[in-house]
Amino acid sequence: MYSYIMRRLAFGVVTVFAVSVIVFVILRILPGDPLVAVFGMEGFIKLSAAERANYMAALGLSDPLWLQYLHWLRDIASGNLGHSFFRAESVGEMIARRGPLTAEIAVLSVVLSWLVGVPVAIISALKPNSLGDNVSRFLSILFLAVPGFWLGMLIVLFLLFAFGYRAPLAGASLWEYPVANLQIVIGPAVVLGLGQAAYIARMARSSLLEVIREDYVRTARAKGLGRRPVISRHALPNALLPVITLSGILLGFVLAGSIPVERAFGTPGLGYSMFTAVSERDVFVMQNLVFLYSIIFVLLNIAIDLAIAWLDPRIRYQ
Amino acid sequence: MTAAEPDADLTLAPRAAAIKPAGLRRVARALGMFARRSPLSAFWGCIAALIVLMAVAAPVLAPYDPLKSDFRAMTKPPTERHVFGTDQIGRDVLSRVIYGSRASLTVAIGAVVFGTTLGALWGLASGFLGGRFDLISQRIIEFLQSFPDLILAMAIAMALGAGFGTVIVAIAITRIPFGGRVIRAVVLSLKEMSYVEAARGVGASKMRVMLRHILPQCVAPYLILATTHLGVAIVIEAALGFLGVGIPPPTPTWGNMLADSLNGGLVPPWWLVLFPGAAITLTVLAFNLLGDGIRDVLDPRLRGAVSR
Repeated sequence: MYSYIMRRLAFGVVTVFAVSVIVFVILRILPGDPLVAVFGMEGFIKLSAAERANYMAALGLSDPLWLQYLHWLRDIASGNLGHSFFRAESVGEMIARRGPLTAEIAVLSVVLSWLVGVPVAIISALKPNSLGDNVSRFLSILFLAVPGFWLGMLIVLFLLFAFGYRAPLAGASLWEYPVANLQIVIGPAVVLGLGQAAYIARMARSSLLEVIREDYVRTARAKGLGRRPVISRHALPNALLPVITLSGILLGFVLAGSIPVERAFGTPGLGYSMFTAVSERDVFVMQNLVFLYSIIFVLLNIAIDLAIAWLDPRIRYQ
Repeated sequence: MTAAEPDADLTLAPRAAAIKPAGLRRVARALGMFARRSPLSAFWGCIAALIVLMAVAAPVLAPYDPLKSDFRAMTKPPTERHVFGTDQIGRDVLSRVIYGSRASLTVAIGAVVFGTTLGALWGLASGFLGGRFDLISQRIIEFLQSFPDLILAMAIAMALGAGFGTVIVAIAITRIPFGGRVIRAVVLSLKEMSYVEAARGVGASKMRVMLRHILPQCVAPYLILATTHLGVAIVIEAALGFLGVGIPPPTPTWGNMLADSLNGGLVPPWWLVLFPGAAITLTVLAFNLLGDGIRDVLDPRLRGAVSR
């Protein structure tokens, strides 16, 4: 177990470095002049060559690339995530202010996806090919196809027309204004939660169907245990292991999905900042946010791998 | 050897004979078999085919020019003249939705042809050759997978600047690791089969074993993967368009139509939201269900193996 944890962590460190290189290559080395982004094409053309060189030097862009990369790593390590070209607020402050909202959305959506996906899967798997199974399978396939941000826009419109209601647009922290906070968070969380629930229901259904055929389930039934305890105590815990792994992979779906979904709802979270950064071509903000999101994704998946190893003796004693 | 019995296998592998009438009959028979085994998927396959047809025949089908503004009818709800209504600058939404299918399908097909195929070939080579090449390939694929795919596509599309080509490249790169992983797993299990060992035993070269004996068996999983990836690529393309890093306006795409609907106020007119999104959903649904059907018919063992 100990060596497994160490191996997993060591690989995590390597991955984080590789990710930082990929992010740097994509956003800094690929074509596209950051000065064009800051000044616009017209402003850029008006600048003299000397002014351009000055600005490039001020932004640290005239150093050799490997030095720029090392500077970036040093800045991140010292907690300095830089500034946007367009806003006074530093990226660090922006993450501190907006991050919690997106984190809440993510956590709530994962909880919702389990609350919806697993019961649906149980109903499906206990009576395969029944009406309930077919309906839930169709719904999960449908929700795989519906883009979350479109569903979000429809929900906003529906609430507005039917009830004249719109979630508050200003940010509200969970501790100071719990009601306003819930109103902001619930929409995106439901949309992202349903999207994940579709994957979870599909996976949990097929995994349950496999487990139910196992010998130990038949033995449990044969010794006179009722249907319910057999499912809840013998079948489910084993069937849900792959679902936990899937849920970790789906975190990528949540982190990335929250960007268009927050735009659809007008949620003042970190996903919305990502949208703003992309539409303003704000390279430095984008670079740090993409890196942050990927690190969160990698670390949470390592945590999940360790949790699985802890839950599943077959992996623990490998 | 008497080849009197026409083999009714379902490998839809393109062969030289496919051009001859006998080959056509084979394809027709395979399709007929597919329709009989899984009528529902065949139905969704027809819907997918209709959507492709709509994209090809867009100039004939669209009632108006998708780029032409009618300033006397701006932001008008659906009427008889404009069945899906008009947008903020008086363009016909129906025509734009029809033309939008072109962008979606071009990007999706391009991304799958480059991304999934490249990934699959990489997986084939990496699984077959093994050794250090496989080890390094696996690491690279894992690194690529440590990005949520929409975020990777966003960053690439932003760095390269907007346009058809860049969106295709951005989405294709996110497809490579999935193609690589699935096909590699298939190849690893095929490598142990006795017919492959036999081929090696009679002295076939490595290249010949890979291309003649293993590659054809990868066609079925590849087809399944490619159909599912079409759906994924359409959703990513729409999201990129919605976030403003997709194909730039005025070219109509379903994603940038949804983004445009938010211009000019907090509350978008409902017809500007409903129709493009419904088009995305229907298209993705059709490709996903077609993919499920192909999987069930071609290789029931793959259930669950290709979940994305």
